[in-house]
This record gives sequence, structure tokens and C-alpha cells, in this order.
Amino acid sequence: MLKRSPLSLVALALVFALAGCGSIPADPDGTLEQVTDGVLRVGASPDDGLISVAGNEVSGDEAELVEGFAETLNARVEWTIGGEERLVGQLDTGKLDLVVGGITDATPWVESAGVTRAYPAMPGADGRNIVMLVPLGENRFLGELERFLDAAVGE
Amino acid sequence: MTRFGRTDLPPEQARALRQAIGIEVFTICYTAVTIVVVALVLGNSQAMKTAWIEDIFSLTPQVAFLVALIFVRRRPTKRFPFGLHRAMGVGHLVAGVALFVVGANLAFEAVTGFVEGDHPTIGTIVLFGQNLWLGWLMIAVMAVIAIGPPFYGRYKLKLAKKLHNKLLFADADMAKADWHTNAASIVGVMGIGLGIWWLDSAAALFISLGILWDGVKNTKAAVLDLMDTRATSYDQKHTHPLIGQTNELLGGLRWVRKNAVRMRDEGQVFHVEAYVVPHKSRVKLSTIEAAERAIVGLDWKVQDVNLIVVSELPPEADASLPDR
Repeated sequence: MLKRSPLSLVALALVFALAGCGSIPADPDGTLEQVTDGVLRVGASPDDGLISVAGNEVSGDEAELVEGFAETLNARVEWTIGGEERLVGQLDTGKLDLVVGGITDATPWVESAGVTRAYPAMPGADGRNIVMLVPLGENRFLGELERFLDAAVGE
Repeated sequence: MTRFGRTDLPPEQARALRQAIGIEVFTICYTAVTIVVVALVLGNSQAMKTAWIEDIFSLTPQVAFLVALIFVRRRPTKRFPFGLHRAMGVGHLVAGVALFVVGANLAFEAVTGFVEGDHPTIGTIVLFGQNLWLGWLMIAVMAVIAIGPPFYGRYKLKLAKKLHNKLLFADADMAKADWHTNAASIVGVMGIGLGIWWLDSAAALFISLGILWDGVKNTKAAVLDLMDTRATSYDQKHTHPLIGQTNELLGGLRWVRKNAVRMRDEGQVFHVEAYVVPHKSRVKLSTIEAAERAIVGLDWKVQDVNLIVVSELPPEADASLPDR
């Protein structure tokens, strides 16, 4: 491989120095910042026990969790109802911030969405390993959501 | 245990061989542990994935070395009259091609990831009741497992020199440079942490090009020896000094008018054909055999020596003398 160079050591030291002052992880597209004190755009597909849709009203245990999360960010939830593929597509193009609806850790959408840890203890999950989908690479937002779910649901 | 085909290893080499087996087995265990540990924190970083696959394929030289030893130690038979020394070269070639293919594949993946603008996602984990970004854990793991290879790499390098073993040399060379991989994957994960998503692809590309380059180097080195290139030093940087020494020895004999040698590296030992034009057309058998024994006495690597009396030297045979 390449010759040992002091340059790469310097680069490494620099990265660590940066780590000290910045907030890590960051969102490349700034999702958490946009949502805070603003609007949390959530896509939901109906799921027995977790998401019920009646007209424009979205309810259910998972919907309540989303509302709770939005509250911690001082944000208002804007629901979009649809099938998973359409919602994931909108997540991928930046039109949504979060997709929920009884999605499990076996989800095939890993190429198009960031996936939270599984929360089998979620009320209404019925033993399924429930996850939520976030935009790819928005790691600060993802961390914030997982922190909230850890506290609200328990790991 | 202490035999290479028809070559009995001198005590120093026999000891070095035992140490080499020991360190190769140790390396396999060490790498197996790192593979498992890295798998636990792998996440979605392409750089981490590339480093992990490199870890897996870095086992090939060690496995090839240990497998080749089984064959190399067998005595020559009628079916394999030169012994099975080439097993080492075959193992070397297999390791080289494997590294090349894997490196090329990973480089392609890194470039595709960059072009498609893949934003790697890394979440958090709960560790001892604390919510921690998984990236920190990846960085810690990569930093810790970087410690081993430079040490055993240097150790293997010494053994490779003593044993004149090119596979062991390649293995040592790769271990010495292994920390580049860890450093690059740390940079990639830090990039993700800072929101510089493409740094992950860049780090993955850097690591995969390293693997690719290892593959090219090893394939070239193995092919050269399998194609019977003139014997070289264990790092293939110089013509082997034994060629000059053999010529010097022959040139010093009174009955020899002109001399040249053909010397090839069979993997750990040499096969030597020495051509001699005598002053007189009659040479005693005992004189020829004495010269052969003298060549064998030069070094432990030369045991398979044929001295051929000719009227004219073949032009391809090497008549050079050692550098002074």
C-alpha cells in the first residue's frame, strides 16, 4: 500500500480536533434544524394497531409517538397518507422527514431510507420489530428520534 | 518439520520457520477477532464495509502460506522430481488475484456510491444506559485494532528475510501498511459525523485502491517467479547475490576457463544449473562433483545443483559477478 506519511497522521489529528468543537453527528441536509420550531412532515401508511386513518385524522399508538416527538422539537406534524413506496420516494426526494406505519426491521427500503433501531416494546407492535424511516444520512435527526423513542418506548 | 523437499533447513531457518508458523496462526486468530468485532459495529459506512472486507481477505496470504507449507515440506518424488516448492508460488498467485478482484470490486462500489450521492446513515446505540452515536464506537474499534498489525508485520518481515519467503514478505508488507486502512475508515466515519457524506466514499476508495494495489504487486511477484525469472532477493528488488557468488566460486577454480549460471527461485529454495567451459576437454568426474559440493556449500537455499560441462556457454546463462 502507500508509504507511511506524516500527512495522514496530521489529517487524522485535524479531524479529531474538529470533532471536539463541532456537533457530531451532523445532518448533511439540516433536517433537525428545519423541523425544530417548524413543521415535521410525516408520511404514514395505515397499520392495524399502530396507525389508523379516518378522513384527515391520523391516530394510533405510533401516531401518538410521532406527535410526542414533534412536541419535543416544538414542531407541528403535517401528515401525508399513502402507500409505503410513494412515501419512501417522497422521503428520498426530501418532501418528507419521517415515514411510519408498522414498518419492521426487515424493511426492503434500506437503500432509500435511514432506518431507526427496532422497538418491539412499542404499544400495539404485537412483538414486531417496529422501525421508523428517516431521510438517508440525516444522522443528527435520526439520533434525536432514537433518543426520544428510547425514552418513550424503552429499547 | 525442518525439511524443504530435498533441502534440510539449517537450525536458524528451522527456528524461523517455527516462529513463522506461530505468528501466522496468531495473525489468523487476531484477524478473526477483529472481523467479528468490526461486524458488530459495521453500520452503513462504505469505508467501514471496505475495511471489513479487507480484513477478511487479508487472511488469504496466511492461509496460503500454511497450506503451501504442507506441500513444500514433501520430498521430491518421481512424479514431482523438483519437489513441491512451487506450492508457495501458487499460493502467492491465488492470494494476489483474490486481492486484485476484491479491490477492484470495492473501488467500483465506492465510486458508484459517490456518483449516486449515497448519504450513509449511522444511528445511535444504547451502551451502559447511555445513548451513543454508533460512529464513535466504530472509530474506537478501528483505532484499537490498528495496534497489532504494525508489530507483527515487522516481525514477519525479519522472518521472511531469514527464510527467503516471498509470500511471508508480501504478508508482512501488507500488515505494515494495514494502519492506513484503519486511519482511512476513521476519516470516513468522521466525515459522516461532520455531515461531509462524500468523505466516506473517498475513504472507501482510498482503502480499495490499497487492496487493488496489493493485488497487483502480489500477482506480479508470484507470476515472475512462476515464469522462472532470474533468482532475486526476497523483496524482488535485486538480483540474488548467490548468482554472482556461484560465478565467483567457479571462476576461481583452476580447471575452469569460462562459466555462467542459470538460477531460478522455486519459492524458498533455488534450482541451479551451472555451465562450465573447461581448459581441457577431459575433466575428472570427482572434480565436477567437488565443484557441485562447493556450490551447495555456499548457502542453504542451493541444494539442487547441476554442473554441466560444455564447449560453449549458453548466451542466456548469467555470467555476472557480485557487486563490489
